[in-house]
Amino acid sequence: MSETTTAVFRIHIESTLETVWRELTRADGRPLPAFFNGVCDCGPGGMKVGAPLRIRTANGKYTSVVGEVTEFEPPTRYAHTFRFTQYDDPECTMVYELAEKDGGVELTLTALGVPAGTKTAGQIQRGGKMIVATLKRVVETGRPSFGTRLLYVLFKVLEPLTPSRLKSENWP
Amino acid sequence: MTQSTSTSAAKAQVSDPELDRVFQALSHPGRRLILDVLAEQPGANVSEVCGFFDTSRIAVMKHLRVLEAAGLVISKKEGRERKLYFNVIPIQTIYDRWTTHYSSLWASRLTGLKYRIEAGEIYGPPSDSEEKP
Repeated sequence: MSETTTAVFRIHIESTLETVWRELTRADGRPLPAFFNGVCDCGPGGMKVGAPLRIRTANGKYTSVVGEVTEFEPPTRYAHTFRFTQYDDPECTMVYELAEKDGGVELTLTALGVPAGTKTAGQIQRGGKMIVATLKRVVETGRPSFGTRLLYVLFKVLEPLTPSRLKSENWP
Repeated sequence: MTQSTSTSAAKAQVSDPELDRVFQALSHPGRRLILDVLAEQPGANVSEVCGFFDTSRIAVMKHLRVLEAAGLVISKKEGRERKLYFNVIPIQTIYDRWTTHYSSLWASRLTGLKYRIEAGEIYGPPSDSEEKP
């Protein structure tokens, strides 16, 4: 078995457990600014243990992440397996833990079993901090930072250049 | 003094006492080295971290507590072991506060140039026949 590594990202959010939980686990067909403006698709049954988890573009055309919900304990713990559709790297696990702390919420994202030295590992290192920082920003101020919003406009513009491997028909 | 909304929003992201703890934690070379070790070896335990230092285990533990209080180190109990992880978020929030989308691009070009030159990748002036490095 090849080597794996763990990455941990922790941030304090001035909000309530329920608000952070709702934004973190929203699978309502609307884009999630904290998750690169993707839409979380857990199938008709919604988010629960055993449900498939897909991060798709807002129009549903492309799918960037696939996995399965492995833990779902509102409003403190949620985990899912995780694989980028773009790479052939083995899957890893994302664990989100929420705890009340100092009048706010402490959010910890732990990426477990990340295949070391792969493109997946690099993307998680960059993506993990962006996810927790953007989630904080969205919950506290109502929207992502200007830079992040600009990035999402760019994503939209560049969408036609997405590799066909990511087409949602390949990732039901 | 008037502030634009985006400025006050960025500043509200982290409180000053929080920032003080981060800068204080980073103001010691030994503690910075601990972060290097943990960034390189996520999940190392206290003994493994101690292996990098000549100082006593107690001294290393004291530094770890300072880093933990600043949110730069996360300690997780896994089975019977306590594992340590570097948390990049406090540094990212400092970065976010003083960099913009545009300055980060150009600043990283400059630091990249500095690192390349200092690593010895120095090229002479290009001649007509030579390809640019």
